Amino acid sequence: MIHDSIIRERLVTGDKTAADVTRDIARPILNQPSTAWKVGFTLSVIFLGIFAVSLFYTLWTGIGVWNINKSVMWGWDITNFVFWVGIGHAGTLISAVLLLFRQKWRMSINRSAEAMTIFAVICAAMFPVFHMGRVWVGYWALPLPNGFGSLWVNFNSPLLWDVFAISTYFSVSLLFWYIGLIPDIATIRDKVTTKGAKFWYGLFSMGWTGSTRTWARYELISLILAGLSTPLVLSVHTIVSTDFATSVIPGWHTTIFPPYFVAGAIFSGFGMVATLLVVARKVMNYENYITIGHLDAMTKIIMVTGSLVGIAYLTEFFIAWYSGVEYEQYAFLNRAFGPYWWAYWSMMSCNLIAPQVFWFKWCRTTPWFIFIMSIVVNVGMWFERFVIIVTSLHRDYLPSSWVMYSGSLTEVGLFLGTFGIFFTCFFLFAKFLPVINMAEVKSILRNRE
Amino acid sequence: MAILDKNLSLRNRNKMLVGVYEDEDNLMQATQSLVDAGVHVHDVYTPYPVHGLDRIMGIRRSRLARVAFFCGLTGLSLAITMIWYMYVYDWPMNIGNKPERFTPSWIPVMFEATVLCTAFGMGFFFFWRNRMLHGVKNEILDLRQTDDRMIIAVETKEGMDEKSTLDLMKKNGAVELREFHNGVQTTL
Repeated sequence: MIHDSIIRERLVTGDKTAADVTRDIARPILNQPSTAWKVGFTLSVIFLGIFAVSLFYTLWTGIGVWNINKSVMWGWDITNFVFWVGIGHAGTLISAVLLLFRQKWRMSINRSAEAMTIFAVICAAMFPVFHMGRVWVGYWALPLPNGFGSLWVNFNSPLLWDVFAISTYFSVSLLFWYIGLIPDIATIRDKVTTKGAKFWYGLFSMGWTGSTRTWARYELISLILAGLSTPLVLSVHTIVSTDFATSVIPGWHTTIFPPYFVAGAIFSGFGMVATLLVVARKVMNYENYITIGHLDAMTKIIMVTGSLVGIAYLTEFFIAWYSGVEYEQYAFLNRAFGPYWWAYWSMMSCNLIAPQVFWFKWCRTTPWFIFIMSIVVNVGMWFERFVIIVTSLHRDYLPSSWVMYSGSLTEVGLFLGTFGIFFTCFFLFAKFLPVINMAEVKSILRNRE
Repeated sequence: MAILDKNLSLRNRNKMLVGVYEDEDNLMQATQSLVDAGVHVHDVYTPYPVHGLDRIMGIRRSRLARVAFFCGLTGLSLAITMIWYMYVYDWPMNIGNKPERFTPSWIPVMFEATVLCTAFGMGFFFFWRNRMLHGVKNEILDLRQTDDRMIIAVETKEGMDEKSTLDLMKKNGAVELREFHNGVQTTL
């Protein structure tokens, strides 16, 4: 016998029926765009323009327009790459890991988080690709037969692992997202009235009818894809961390990097999910679907992962001292008290100290405060990557080659421009596809136990 | 074994008896009582996955997991073959004086290729089995079956007591009963 639970709070409030869910969530798709959407979209396109101009300048003039040089070969570019890849990871965590753990609260937020993953990975990919300088020979990174004496790619290199990891991650995430979207696209297909919309939603719904036979297989494939995506997401950021950890640069050459990077990725990703959803639930009137309970759960994850990252910072420092290696010790002292002290302490205060406010319930349940904190987390995580990359590189083993590095205007433009790519994609997604997984939310309207 | 599930198409079928439901519990009870009465339920269409319905209808558990395993094995073998061919056979490279035979540094690429082939292989067979392709005509019995209505479809056979089947649907809370034949629906 099935009962409605009297203990657990409802995941969707406002006594919604299945028809209400379709109406509420399909509203932005079936109606003209709102003023808020138009303003947001225009702003995003302006930032996209900044990206285009910066990229054109980089390609036209050459990679020298970036301030990277010896010994800081990686600067804003790789900082931004790791920043965006990290953001992408929360989407997979919400859709895959929380699915495996049967956390039903994920159902209202998984769709937008997965979309965020895909757009963030696109932004991330821009940086290593254009960092190559001669981007037109970028295909050399792929294991293709070539005309230079059958030389193949180097399978010992973490940079090559990255090529495989990021491309696999992007394509598997896209598949997972699309399969999850099909039932909802079918719902929209049966709601739209114009011929063009009927054609496009019909095309992408692939003839979905909601047959029980299909649903049974759909649930199984979702589960297996979740099972695959979980180790995949861990592998991706582990490999990103080995880009650093397998080198012999003090401050990078540490075994703690993989778990430390994965925790940081989840932390920053949840920061971005919170930024987006606090705004989306207000602007799109989704407060009954993305409830305070959801924000509460997300902020708890932010706090836990922030603390994990904090422990990693402290462990690094301790191990540098304990190792007795003077280069290691100097690298860390230089981070905290050298010329980039401000970046280090920004990182420490944003990532380790600031999230501790989420011990207090008021902080976890007040949307405007969560919004501010989510921005703090994003800023902190950008600084983390900047600190790791720049402070380790700017003073190498040879003091005569010590330099200071700061991003050029083009580098800043490219970084700001990727927000243009990200938000343009996100606004288009919010206009043309359901931001919340309607089918899954309909299945949790009643609190079953 | 045919991969395409023939049950999913409604074309070239006998007359269908269609019961429309608004409530998940009624739908489950109706399906159960139809199955208990020995009626073959052709399919049940729901806007969201209703757990347990497939078991009531006697749908066999999907073998997609096995497919996934074999796709994964294919991916792994492809990766090993590729790395061995490029790195050991065709152009051995000495990098950092590391051995050119199998080393742990092969594992990341092997892993990624396994995941890639599993996911896409499984996706391919999922779409094939479910008769899903861009441009396939959607054969829906009710425009709201993807919104908030749930539909039970029973295919009639010769000698079948249609009236008692419809009564059973009605008794369990059907809000509407229809007949579907050759693409035409009539409300009963």
